[in-house]
Amino acid sequence: MVSFHNGLLTSKIIGLIFSLSLIFFDVGDSYSSIIFIMIMLSIGIPHGSVDHIIAFLNPESRRFSSKLHFFIAYISLIIINVIIWVFSPFIGLTIFLIISCYHFGETQVIGYNSTENKFLNFVVGANILLSLFLNNIFELQEILVDFKLFSTLDLSSFEKIFFLLISVSILMMTIVHFDIKKKVPLYAELTILYLIFYHTDILTSFSIFFGFSHSLPMLLMEYEEMKEKSFLIFYFKTLPFTLLAIAFGLVLYYFNNSILTTDNLILFVFIIISSLTLPHVFIMKDFVKSK
Amino acid sequence: MNTLNFILGASLQPGDFTGFTFFIGSVSMLAATVFFLVQHGQVDKKYKDSMLVAALITGIAAVHYYYMRDQWAEGLGSPTELRYVDWILTVPLMVVEFSLLTGVGMAKLFWLSVGMLVTGYFGESGVTGMLDAQTWGAVAGLCYFWMAYEVGALRALSDGMPSGAVGDALASAKGKIPAAGKMLQWYVLVGWSIYPLGYMLGTDGWYSGMLSGLNWNMDIVYNIGDAINKIGFGMAVWSAARD
Repeated sequence: MVSFHNGLLTSKIIGLIFSLSLIFFDVGDSYSSIIFIMIMLSIGIPHGSVDHIIAFLNPESRRFSSKLHFFIAYISLIIINVIIWVFSPFIGLTIFLIISCYHFGETQVIGYNSTENKFLNFVVGANILLSLFLNNIFELQEILVDFKLFSTLDLSSFEKIFFLLISVSILMMTIVHFDIKKKVPLYAELTILYLIFYHTDILTSFSIFFGFSHSLPMLLMEYEEMKEKSFLIFYFKTLPFTLLAIAFGLVLYYFNNSILTTDNLILFVFIIISSLTLPHVFIMKDFVKSK
Repeated sequence: MNTLNFILGASLQPGDFTGFTFFIGSVSMLAATVFFLVQHGQVDKKYKDSMLVAALITGIAAVHYYYMRDQWAEGLGSPTELRYVDWILTVPLMVVEFSLLTGVGMAKLFWLSVGMLVTGYFGESGVTGMLDAQTWGAVAGLCYFWMAYEVGALRALSDGMPSGAVGDALASAKGKIPAAGKMLQWYVLVGWSIYPLGYMLGTDGWYSGMLSGLNWNMDIVYNIGDAINKIGFGMAVWSAARD
């Protein structure tokens, strides 16, 4: 059995080695989709595939009376999210960003501070996403071509380094002004992420962050809390809902709508991820309570 | 050797001393990173964060020196943007070492380092189209002097010299911290003064006539400055942390 903090460090070191390998071996942007799919299928989706088990693990914050109650709430949130995206991608994206900021921040501060300060959780997550977007802002404009207000902004007079500087400055403000138990290690880890965000494209950046800085540590934490005999047995338990999530994505892709006919795969991926993320955030919020 | 060229990308030309300093910078930073990470496990718990930050500084620099060497070898000129990307990420981490040792001054040192880098970049790249390099350089210099005052850099020369809160905290700290602080103060006073020299070699200003006779290259000066300061900063912390 691995201790959580060893697992946390191990997963982040794996991510760092992977990222540096991409940089040193100059793996081009053309592989970013493959990297994204591999990480999502092997780590990303599985880390949320045991929500139905971990929702009942922490007695301090248990909020479902039965599995049926859990599944009704969980699936309802997914359906509501898809409907919001279909009718208003702008509102869908806004909700996704807000909950993602909170969720990513909450898991990021584990090991550096208590997760009780919810505003700090949100701000740390916002820092990460802001840096991810700012350091790849020209690419983001191409992806979010449907959001005219943003995609038509003329940013050509700004150099990429300018956006790195903004994200580092905001991070500094956060670190200085919040009461964080381990300020410097948190700043140091986020600096590594910013380095990766600057040097890799947006999809690879997100894959590395989401896979190794978020999902893998959470997967190891779930493994530890579920007290399975081996990691393989635990991982096997993630498979049914991982496959179900993939099927859900394929169904949504098949019954596509006007948004998806733009061939904008990344926007489609946003919808899938946000639909899976929304209910997962509430489960994880309870799961990581007091960690 | 040819089998390794897929890692290195473009090859350095014979006699390219500037390119060679990029290469040396890359491998020495990498070696220092490995050293600091190995030592991280050996030092007292209270110094572990400092050792990790030292490894991070040289690690980030190793990545950027790898890129800079490649850009230089491909004949794309001085890698100003990559150098400043490296500095934006590493200089705040260097000033954080002072805060880790003393627990004070983090906010002020952070902002001064940002001010120094932003104005330095504006001057060196000319990206703003406003003011000239010597004016931006003067502002960057002011930030540097203020930072040097805050950390008590002049106290490297004599204990009676004026200092800011960080320098005072270093002097009154217990154990090996004052000795390590003294070494860091030497680096800020002498090591960091290499950078203004590099800046003046690479830009036009009142100093151009004075420095033209030296026939030095800006990148060589910066590369030497980085190697001394980044590795040296970590070594200073390590010297306090060992035993």
